[in-house]
Amino acid sequence: MDLFPLRLSLQVAVTATALTLLVGLPIAWLLARRRFPGRDLVAALVVFPLVLPPTVLGYYLLVVIGSRGLGALGLELAFTWRAAVLAAALGSIALLIKAAQAGFETVDPRLEQAARTLGRSEWSIFWVVTLPLAWRSVLAGTVLAFCRALGEFGITLMVAGSIPGRTQTLPLAIYDHVQANQMAEANLLALLSIGLVVLLLLGVSRLARLRF
Amino acid sequence: MLSVTLTKRFPGFTLDVSWEADDRIVALFGPSGAGKSLTLGCLAGLVRPDAGRVVVNGRTFDDVAGGVHLPPQARRLGYVFQGYALFPHLTVAENVAFGLRDRPRAERRRRAGEVLERLGLGEVAGRRPRELSGGQQQRVALGRALAPDPEVLLLDEPLSALDAPLRRQLRDELGRLIREWGRTVVLVTHDLAEAYQLGERLVVYDAGRVVQAAPKAELLLRPASEAVARLIGMRNIVRGTVVKASPDRIEMVWRGRTVEAVNSPGHPYLAPAGTPVAFFVRPEYARLLRKDRAAPDPAHRMNFLTGSIVGEIDQGTAWTLLFRLDGPGEPSQGAYDLEIEIPKLVYEILDVGRDRQWSVTMHRGALQVLPSG
Repeated sequence: MDLFPLRLSLQVAVTATALTLLVGLPIAWLLARRRFPGRDLVAALVVFPLVLPPTVLGYYLLVVIGSRGLGALGLELAFTWRAAVLAAALGSIALLIKAAQAGFETVDPRLEQAARTLGRSEWSIFWVVTLPLAWRSVLAGTVLAFCRALGEFGITLMVAGSIPGRTQTLPLAIYDHVQANQMAEANLLALLSIGLVVLLLLGVSRLARLRF
Repeated sequence: MLSVTLTKRFPGFTLDVSWEADDRIVALFGPSGAGKSLTLGCLAGLVRPDAGRVVVNGRTFDDVAGGVHLPPQARRLGYVFQGYALFPHLTVAENVAFGLRDRPRAERRRRAGEVLERLGLGEVAGRRPRELSGGQQQRVALGRALAPDPEVLLLDEPLSALDAPLRRQLRDELGRLIREWGRTVVLVTHDLAEAYQLGERLVVYDAGRVVQAAPKAELLLRPASEAVARLIGMRNIVRGTVVKASPDRIEMVWRGRTVEAVNSPGHPYLAPAGTPVAFFVRPEYARLLRKDRAAPDPAHRMNFLTGSIVGEIDQGTAWTLLFRLDGPGEPSQGAYDLEIEIPKLVYEILDVGRDRQWSVTMHRGALQVLPSG
């Protein structure tokens, strides 16, 4: 039994989640705390990945990173595991942003104002006040985004393909096994996926309850 | 020294105020929604005014025309928020040390410890705000604001979250603390007793405007207008007509009687005869005349009124008597003309409970003319 797809999926999901946090948290904070021109447009764009067909997202992502996009600049991303990371991040970032935004919005703005009068910078206030008070929502969003990244299929297929041993993630491997009528293998990988997600959700909800 | 000129527009509300104060402790007083807290927000730099200038102790915080808007971080002020806004995820000690981040660790510890000790919070230093009583929370908020040694302290309704008995005790404590502290304090309150006890100068707000700014004693003695008198809860505000006004006396007709009041020294009210005028009578300054004593010497020019008690309210340590003047005409305040307040002891000695017909004297200083409005 080749466990490469499991390993790759974990690697892709972890990297994609890190990327999602890096990009998603600032966007969530901006949406929750700032009024700026084009805010409504950003808010609408954020939910695009949830409502558009994955093939459409995948197509545009391929255009961006393909031989006429970033590929033309010498950045070879298409059909590598990095493309799978981008695909997973794109597919899951909306879940993180929405959860984190809701979390930030529940933080009393007066606490941030108090921190301002006490001389703290906006950067410091985010780390010391806003995030610690919204951490449960952020964690919930992160876990959802991670699970979604783990299961990403459509966008990944478009931009990374399903190259066994190189870009074939767990969901793609299951699909291939079914196509090849290897039901035992498909079954095993499917159960593995479920087990992984269940463990993760249980673990995190335990952790979250432990703290408060 | 504070010099504040602010305009801030919202849909349905405009703040447009201007006041100055040399005094150390300024109380912004007025009903809820008058713009007091908004003014505090502007002072702190949390709200950016549409127009105006704010200068505090020689430092320009805001100058909209000159493009100056100091961020809150640079103003060096302590802000005690209404409801305190303590950081719920931090301990008492961490809350108090929050504004000390730019100091070395040892210095931070020492200063936080000193503040906790001074406010009697040493024993709860490790607790979270929600485990504290209201009074302790208030002290943490004060400690957090004062720890970085600010130049100005802003207090937004610092006592309104507390129950009445505790409130009174903490009002005394707070008064002592801010007097000892010795720097500029701006306090927002809708409670006159609080404003009066804690403040040195009172700035009275109403509907986004300042209706009077004066040292506290002057404000109570000489409200600038009928509107101010009503805002500061003056009782017995009634209306008469001017008979004769001189710089030190003013004679009026009220309910068919001639009464005399002291005119405002400094800015006397010199209206021609026949001008309608509002004035108020201090309920605790009206005296029931003992029947076993002779009538006062007319040379003393006391206001002398006869009437009957038509109602009374037991205030615990004092009685409020509702007094109606003899003679025809509608009483000035519904069923009665004057509220008179007398100590319980006087009520018992004079047997007011049984005897309802009285003569009342009021020195002219008990009557205060309210020029405008």
